Amino acid sequence: MRSMLAYSFRICFVLAALVAALPASAQDLAPVSDTYAITGATIVPAPGQKIENGTVLVQNGLITGVGKNISIPADAIIIKADSMFVYAGFIDGYSHVGVNPDNSEKKEKVKYPGNPPPGRAGITPQADVRDFINPTDASIAALRAQGFTVSQIVPHGNMLPGQAAVVLLKGEKADQVTISGNTALYSELSGTPGVYPSTIMGVMAKWRELYRQAAQTKNYQALYASNPTGLERPETDRTLEAFYPVIDRRQSVLFKSEKVLEIQHALTLKTDLGLQVILGDLKEGWPIINKIKNSGAKVLLSLDLPAEMKKEDNAEKKSDERKALDKRKADAIASSTSQAAQFAKAGIVFGFSANTVKPADVRPNLMRMIASGLSEETALAALTTTPAQMLGLSNRLGTVENGKIANLIISDAPYFNKKSKIKYVLVEGTLFSVEDRPKADTGKKADVKGSWSYQTETPQGKGDGKLVIKNENGNYSGTITNSFSGKETEVKDLVVSGNNMSFNYTIDVGGNSLKVDVAVTISGDTLEGSMTAGQYGTFPLNGTRDPK
Amino acid sequence: MKNRFHIVLGAITTIVIGLIWQTEAQSPKGKTGTFALTNATIETITKGTIANGTVILKGGKIVEVGTSVAIPSDAEVIDCNGLKIYPGMIDGGTTVGLSEVGSDKKTQDFNEAGEVVPQVKALTAVNPNSAVIPVTRVSGVTTVIAKPDGGLFPGTAALINLFGYTPDQMYAGFEGVVMNFPNTGRRGFFDRRSDDEIKKAAEKSLKKLDEVWDKAVQYHKLDSAMKGKGLDYYPEMEALLPVVRGERMLMIEVNAAKDIQAVLKWVADRKIRKVALTGVTEGWRVADEIAKAKIPVITGPVIAIPTRDYDRYDQIYANPGLMKKAGVKVAIRTAGTENVRNLPYHAGFAAAYGMSKEDALRAITIEPAEILGVNDKLGSVEKGKNATLIVCDGDPMETKTQIKYVFIDGWMVPMVSRQTLLYDEFLKREPGVSKN
Amino acid sequence: MKSKLTYQVLLLALTLGLTHQSAGQDKGTMLIKNGTVLTITKGTLENTDVLIRDGKISQVGKGLKAPSGAKEIDATGLFVMPGIIDAHSHIGLESINEGTSQVTAEVWQGDAIDPLQMSIYRALAGGCTTSHAMHGSANSIGGQCQTIKHRYGTFLPEELIMQGAPRTIKFALGENPTNHGTRDGLLPQTRMGVEFVIREAFSQAKAYMAEWDKYNKNKTAKGFRGAPPEYSYRLETLGEILKGNIIIHCHSYRADEIYMMLNVCKDFGIKKIVFQHVNEGFKVAPELAAYGAMASVFADWWAYKFEVYYSTAYNATILVRNGVTTSINSDSPDLIRHLYHEAGKTQKYGGLSDDEALSLITINPAKQLGIESRVGSIEVGKEGDITIFKNHPLSIYGVPQYSIVDGIVRFDREKDPADMRLLPDPKAEIDVTLHGQYDEGHDNCLQDVEYLFNDLVGLKN
Repeated sequence: MRSMLAYSFRICFVLAALVAALPASAQDLAPVSDTYAITGATIVPAPGQKIENGTVLVQNGLITGVGKNISIPADAIIIKADSMFVYAGFIDGYSHVGVNPDNSEKKEKVKYPGNPPPGRAGITPQADVRDFINPTDASIAALRAQGFTVSQIVPHGNMLPGQAAVVLLKGEKADQVTISGNTALYSELSGTPGVYPSTIMGVMAKWRELYRQAAQTKNYQALYASNPTGLERPETDRTLEAFYPVIDRRQSVLFKSEKVLEIQHALTLKTDLGLQVILGDLKEGWPIINKIKNSGAKVLLSLDLPAEMKKEDNAEKKSDERKALDKRKADAIASSTSQAAQFAKAGIVFGFSANTVKPADVRPNLMRMIASGLSEETALAALTTTPAQMLGLSNRLGTVENGKIANLIISDAPYFNKKSKIKYVLVEGTLFSVEDRPKADTGKKADVKGSWSYQTETPQGKGDGKLVIKNENGNYSGTITNSFSGKETEVKDLVVSGNNMSFNYTIDVGGNSLKVDVAVTISGDTLEGSMTAGQYGTFPLNGTRDPK
Repeated sequence: MKNRFHIVLGAITTIVIGLIWQTEAQSPKGKTGTFALTNATIETITKGTIANGTVILKGGKIVEVGTSVAIPSDAEVIDCNGLKIYPGMIDGGTTVGLSEVGSDKKTQDFNEAGEVVPQVKALTAVNPNSAVIPVTRVSGVTTVIAKPDGGLFPGTAALINLFGYTPDQMYAGFEGVVMNFPNTGRRGFFDRRSDDEIKKAAEKSLKKLDEVWDKAVQYHKLDSAMKGKGLDYYPEMEALLPVVRGERMLMIEVNAAKDIQAVLKWVADRKIRKVALTGVTEGWRVADEIAKAKIPVITGPVIAIPTRDYDRYDQIYANPGLMKKAGVKVAIRTAGTENVRNLPYHAGFAAAYGMSKEDALRAITIEPAEILGVNDKLGSVEKGKNATLIVCDGDPMETKTQIKYVFIDGWMVPMVSRQTLLYDEFLKREPGVSKN
Repeated sequence: MKSKLTYQVLLLALTLGLTHQSAGQDKGTMLIKNGTVLTITKGTLENTDVLIRDGKISQVGKGLKAPSGAKEIDATGLFVMPGIIDAHSHIGLESINEGTSQVTAEVWQGDAIDPLQMSIYRALAGGCTTSHAMHGSANSIGGQCQTIKHRYGTFLPEELIMQGAPRTIKFALGENPTNHGTRDGLLPQTRMGVEFVIREAFSQAKAYMAEWDKYNKNKTAKGFRGAPPEYSYRLETLGEILKGNIIIHCHSYRADEIYMMLNVCKDFGIKKIVFQHVNEGFKVAPELAAYGAMASVFADWWAYKFEVYYSTAYNATILVRNGVTTSINSDSPDLIRHLYHEAGKTQKYGGLSDDEALSLITINPAKQLGIESRVGSIEVGKEGDITIFKNHPLSIYGVPQYSIVDGIVRFDREKDPADMRLLPDPKAEIDVTLHGQYDEGHDNCLQDVEYLFNDLVGLKN
């Protein structure tokens, strides 16, 4: 233990000058060389393989040597990684990393909600995520710190937010770090509140209609192109044209597929329209493993897991009813945790997606999955080789091999060891050191004062609005509005305790009043929680602090 | 089979009643006087069943009940051969007369502005001519609590007879202050607060309640010291005064198990003497504690959905029976407006799912009467009580049972409502499809 | 290879004492012995056995023998009736109102089935084995509905779908589609507007079909070159109604609007229509009967809104006596638990016979959904959907003991383990209530959900 610490200390020392020059740091000085030699490391070139005391040579962003007897060029910056472990950089099957939801745009009232402009209805399949990536967004560094070097990034939105791109998590402009664009058409099967389609039914119908219209337009355009004489000129429609690669089976559709029903909606469209489908961020795939397997859809399991049950002091005093309920909850958590192992057993090849996981939970969650039966090898494959294959990028990504893009992780112990830490991440040959983050202070009351933008997801679709909290000497008050009606309602029973805030408000429902309860957890400038509207159910709610 | 018999009987009566309607005026009136209900099976509720008995009603009272009863010469004799007599049914929690059309706020008078308005009175806002009233009473529900709602102290509820043209004529001898107990437990699946935080939040919401109560106690002390003279006009406190003094009932609406426990403690801490819990849909979870506190319960609706997803499907039907079994004094209510006529069915479901039929019937007759302190007048067929009773062709909780006669305070109520009149007019519409 | 799902379902199967693994469209073989069999269509048979083989009723008679290994239920002293059918409900659905447009014929509730909802099991526990999962009534022409069987225990929406049941669609008249005039100048705001919206939609569908017919005809001509009409999922669906391939289920209350809709149907040659709620159906019962239109009503709901203020609980009886095929529906996750009791109310209000009253929740709703040849009575060849009662089902003391779908016991009162959730939320807190949610006095519990979301999340359109 001591020696390991000493090593890392030494390496830090060796790299001190470099660290100051990292792109992510304040001073944007370039490194003195683009050649790195990682020496003395245990290399895991691919899942199940191992090279002891080897060297990885990186030149101009590519891996140019892997093995025991690699001659080190003179211009190489040497990273002494004795007792350390080198892995291929992780690949995030899909997330919104680096893309902020667009809350600023005031949603215009639509004259004919049954026939809104496509953009207003969440239908922008032609949009390219690369136009929305903010290279300096903190989420990129946070994900990278967990070993992720590549993400398939998708835009935010509702039914058809747009085109995904596979991007290096380097923190540079999208076009500079794109490995592959238009990698998938991204779809969330949720409606847009207030306009057509607003519900899952509407979204499914609209999906089918758009697809069939696109096929029709495509045929006619082809007819016209072959011999336009005497034919009415077809209009161009970029919304429909965005479907052409999907119709040609040249492009997959990536569906957000967390919940058991969401997954099945995606599979329904797959069957109805013959789509190539990637199921993204599965959380409740485990009850329908056979159906998923038989569908032949590609699978990205979520790295997010439900929290483990807290151990309670007065466990014996619980009623029988409570014990039984606790048991069922514990079983549900266990099933979620063992999902990856179950998929592996069923012979389904899967990657992982980081769309909803808190970056700091990635490794602990992987460890929980392994503890419930997933092999380390499969876990590593799901982070590296499998997503590389799914994305058709096996020739460039996923392993520590000569000629591949130099995406590497250096950890101070085998990655799946309990106390291992990722020390360095190389993204296409750019070195990033990973520093321990100070733990968030949970003792204090969260700062809730100010204006927040929130989003919520209901069976009727997504909604958003503003929450304004005042704090006068510890007396909290506030108002809540939504951006559609703009109606402002006073909130009641506002309680702030630690990082938690709860309140309620009353709205008018067809002449009757209905109390809506909200409870959220604040972390920094974001809040997350849910709202419950009486018998209508409970819906997730999250938000961000408005800039002052 | 028995069923068939009842149906035939039902059909015959329907025809008979139909004939009466056709020959009588469109708006028949109630009538009073001396009535002798003879040859009846009398279900007194409190004193067993009397076969082949007679009930004499006179001057608004039941003056005789028994088998060898002399029939006064001025009595209108109603032969109740094959029929049964029960006390009028009492619903301990409704908004009858306070709401006419559910979706139209302009027709609703049960929710006054303000968190603490115990001084507003349901009795004076009840619409005696609500279409709901005849619809309800012809089904045998003669007496209901009309109850304000919304806020902490939404107002003062009243027990009313469903016959009469003024509040005074309808008043059935009970008024109680309504309180909605604040929700002190977890608010929903979303609620992630720790137990400690919940405790604190509950303390805060209870603080407001305590503040009101403490003021009321203070008001009572000062008022007593000044012998009822000289305190400034303070309508909220004046309304709470009789509650503090134990002269008027506090009707506490509470449903979730944790809240019920909190209420029991709250009431015990303050030594409040006259209390009933209303709603109490999760009473079964803490039935022993309610029984121990000796606080009566007016529970309902019984025909409803269980409160939790993981509850047994019939938990809410079984709730009254489970509370009764634990020793709680239980009355059943509908918590309804236009379908308070279904009160006997709520009791019937309680009976189908574990309560004894006797107890279920008591829960809509004598139990609410006792809880509301009007058992000297209502709730059973006994000499000296008000002439509020019903005559029917069977068990009143049984769905197909026909109510033949309804007497409220000695008035024989016309067995007509807008719904029966529409039946009359449209069973065989004239003209039919073609006009000629 | 045994997944958690199999384990879960197995667990459920064990708790229910099922003979088969209960997922999906499985069919069972079982014998119900010695019950009082209320066949509905063929009278009441005392001390009679019902044999279900591979999901279908194969024999009804005395002294029947069960195939070896088949489950047996001793129904001595119990009442055996066909599984209850609800012609109007919204249980087991993720969403029910695509109310953003006055016409949304293309949307389909089959796309929004939620097999995990507890309401499905609770309906079973009330003897209800089949329901009509309907779109809401926010718009004049709503979405297509789906008839489902309550095969609780599956995670797969398609396994609730009653395969082969005719297509149906929701229409709505009156207060709901006019939305109290709050739609910012959009049609319809009045009952006049509702009629126009429906007539316009049908007229457009007719034109659309004609265009396609023309194109398809021309297409075959030699050397034809031209653009096809633009594909419209909506108009195509409306066309299917005009062709008689989809049954209209029309939310309606007032006599005038019911009469209006009959005329619209007459003008467009539409024969299959069922009026839903139809609180004032009694006023136009002769016209409904003459047209062959059917009616699906509440037993006694009224006064929850103005258009039902002049209602009567005698509605069902008047309709039946005038020869209208009538059913009693729930439109509510509570009422669906006791439709037998709702049907019983027609004996109080008008004195229907036992068979007449029971028809209202069995064979008549089956007719309204076009599935009367498969369910709705106990007859050889029909599907093995059976409910067994202690006490007569029309009695207030009637208590469902078993509900059987396709010969598989899906509800067994004695073995009910209380917590029947299929997928407990691993993130949810446990000690939580949604209490005091009284379910009285509104049609279609969730149908007006859009008003709610107006202010909750801003559905202001």
